[in-house]
Amino acid sequence: MKAERTGTVGTVLWGATLLGAALAALSYVQAGPARFWANWLVWFLFLLSVALGALFLVAVEHLTASRWSVPLRRISERIATLLLPLAAVALVALGAVPVLYPGARPEAAADPLLAGKAVWLGLPFFALRVVLCAGLGILAVAVLVRGSLRQDRDRDPAFTRRARRFAPVAMAIFALLVTQAGFDWISGLAPAWYSDVIGVYLFAGAFMAGLAATALALLALRARGRLTAIRPDHTYSIGGYLFAFTVFWAYIAFAQYLLMWYGNLPDEVVWYQARTLGAWRPVVLLLALVHFFVPFFALVPRDAKGDLRRLAWVAPVVLVAHWLDLYWLVFPALGPAPRWSWPELGFALLFLGGALLWLRAAMARGEDMPVGDPFLGEGLEFRL
Amino acid sequence: MAETFAVLGLFDHADALLAAIGKVKSQDLGGPARLEAYTPYPVHGLDRALGLRRSPLAGMVMVMGILGALFAMVMQYWMSAVDYPIVTGGKDPTSWQAFIPIMFELMVLFATFTAGLGMLLLLNRLPLFGHPVLGSRAIRSITRDRFALAVEAEGSGFDPRAAQAALEAAGAREIEWLPAPDTGPFLTAVTIQRSLAGIAAACVVAGVLTWGGVKLMPVLRPMVHMEDQPRLSAQQPSRFFPDGSGMRMPVPGTVARGYLPPPFKTPEQAAGLVNPLPRTREVLDRGRAEYQVRCAVCHGALGDGTPTLTAAYGAKPANLVAPNIRAYADGQIYGTIVLGKNAMPAYAADLPEDARWAVVHYVRALQRAQNAKDEDLP
Repeated sequence: MKAERTGTVGTVLWGATLLGAALAALSYVQAGPARFWANWLVWFLFLLSVALGALFLVAVEHLTASRWSVPLRRISERIATLLLPLAAVALVALGAVPVLYPGARPEAAADPLLAGKAVWLGLPFFALRVVLCAGLGILAVAVLVRGSLRQDRDRDPAFTRRARRFAPVAMAIFALLVTQAGFDWISGLAPAWYSDVIGVYLFAGAFMAGLAATALALLALRARGRLTAIRPDHTYSIGGYLFAFTVFWAYIAFAQYLLMWYGNLPDEVVWYQARTLGAWRPVVLLLALVHFFVPFFALVPRDAKGDLRRLAWVAPVVLVAHWLDLYWLVFPALGPAPRWSWPELGFALLFLGGALLWLRAAMARGEDMPVGDPFLGEGLEFRL
Repeated sequence: MAETFAVLGLFDHADALLAAIGKVKSQDLGGPARLEAYTPYPVHGLDRALGLRRSPLAGMVMVMGILGALFAMVMQYWMSAVDYPIVTGGKDPTSWQAFIPIMFELMVLFATFTAGLGMLLLLNRLPLFGHPVLGSRAIRSITRDRFALAVEAEGSGFDPRAAQAALEAAGAREIEWLPAPDTGPFLTAVTIQRSLAGIAAACVVAGVLTWGGVKLMPVLRPMVHMEDQPRLSAQQPSRFFPDGSGMRMPVPGTVARGYLPPPFKTPEQAAGLVNPLPRTREVLDRGRAEYQVRCAVCHGALGDGTPTLTAAYGAKPANLVAPNIRAYADGQIYGTIVLGKNAMPAYAADLPEDARWAVVHYVRALQRAQNAKDEDLP
């Protein structure tokens, strides 16, 4: 009975992914390469945020020698392995560079501002940065996740010490990857626009997405009778982190907007002109609602933070909100009107289906908790 | 034996305390009593275990926080869009974006004050001078590493022995009986006298220190950033400009806004100008206001040239209500304001165009007031 159900889920996921792939390929022909690449970019950045957020959670846990999170760490580690297929997705996304990025297009030579930055914005160096970041991401996964999986077998506490030493490096890698994504993939869509804080903005959203994905995976595993030892004492900090970074995201988003709105400088306001006026106005209002107000008021009561039933609907809202955030950042590059139609649906099926297939396989392998971690016992007994 | 306030049972671990609460609750406590816990740090789940009601503080903080944000929004909207609208940076005075930081600050201010004061004054039963537990032997370890469960008497008929038995059955490592606190009146005559004497002594000390401080450090300048900033005064040289002069000439062929040179060289040449302002109440009020600021110091409040300054100053200001000035055309008075006359400086820089004409109207009104005709009487 159970195996049958699992098989059905797998079939549905495969079907959705293949249908999505067909629709995505069709959209390249029917809707044009610009829309194809914009969709590809949004979904690449979305999954990258989820994976990097999970990696950040793992690194924070090692860095601070947390006890509460040891039983939950394997979930975040498994989500962080998404960085491996995402390296390939990133390399494919380089196809978007000559289409969507004005700094890498032939017209850039005529623009003195872009011509001066031709080396940085051009495809060769862009590709080099992407390859470097993909390599660093794989390195972080190799050290933190593979080492942790190996510890399951050999129970060697040396890994715990090594992970704590590596955690600051993982932090630096995380900062570099998030900044690269912000500066190159997002800010590069409008190369005349400057924002130093775009990486921090993306970091806030990425950590929220990673936390929400961790909470959702935990709920999915518990629904299948696994990880029953997790109590509200453990999930409280997931909810607390999510609440804190909801506020942090809103703070960063509004601070950037306020400064640019007040300064009213031409090279700064173009970004918001394209994203807050006209048909994009309802989108940005919806973004404020689902990325800040809904999670904020849902998580503000004390008991709500550890309540799995509450997290069961807040976490999907946060993930949808983060996708909307990236959509709102990328799609205005295509024109003044938001586009929602079958290409977007096709890409959603393709990438969500693919990511879920990957995660499903990752969740099926090995232990659900880092059984070799010497602090697992303390983590299980953790009490707020 | 003195009345007992409470029986304290001490535990070594927070879990032991939590486990004991259920056990003690199910036992006879020896009369009307309630359970209270004293711990060195907040223990999660203690409120539920003790069966405390949900604290209303969170709701109060939420309501006050939202009220603070709304108050800040209404206040700023009224100040910057209704009462004194100023366009800053080309922004609409009603721009909500500029209100957000203050709204956030006042929200936090209202919320934290509600949390702090509500917790201290409304919900924690403060002010309380000397809680009985503070006088216990166990307080040292309660504030360090041990967890106390107290069975506190409520009303008479409390039997400490039963409470002690219940605590011991629940695994308390140590038991302490706390005597009831002294409930004598707080505001005795001695307390009031001592308080007043203390306040008086504090005033004397503060006064002496202030007096001495001012004597010792008479020119203590608290903030000098503005005074000491690098700047150029008028007529000072500057190495920044090639000609070495700090003051700049206007661009050739231009006139600064509002500084158009008058088309006459003497007041008499201006006699042909006609006062463009109507003789309305508003114009005369404006003229009086400007006259009292700029003119009355020499020409006097009545315009008769006899103000208090004259004797000390040595000048002889004109009597504006005398026949020779009454014979002036409006334009001539206007020309005198613009150019000045004898010892009177030009007021073109101080009075804008419409203010000068308003003053002319007011001077005419002064002249009429000092030379009233019969038909002016009501």
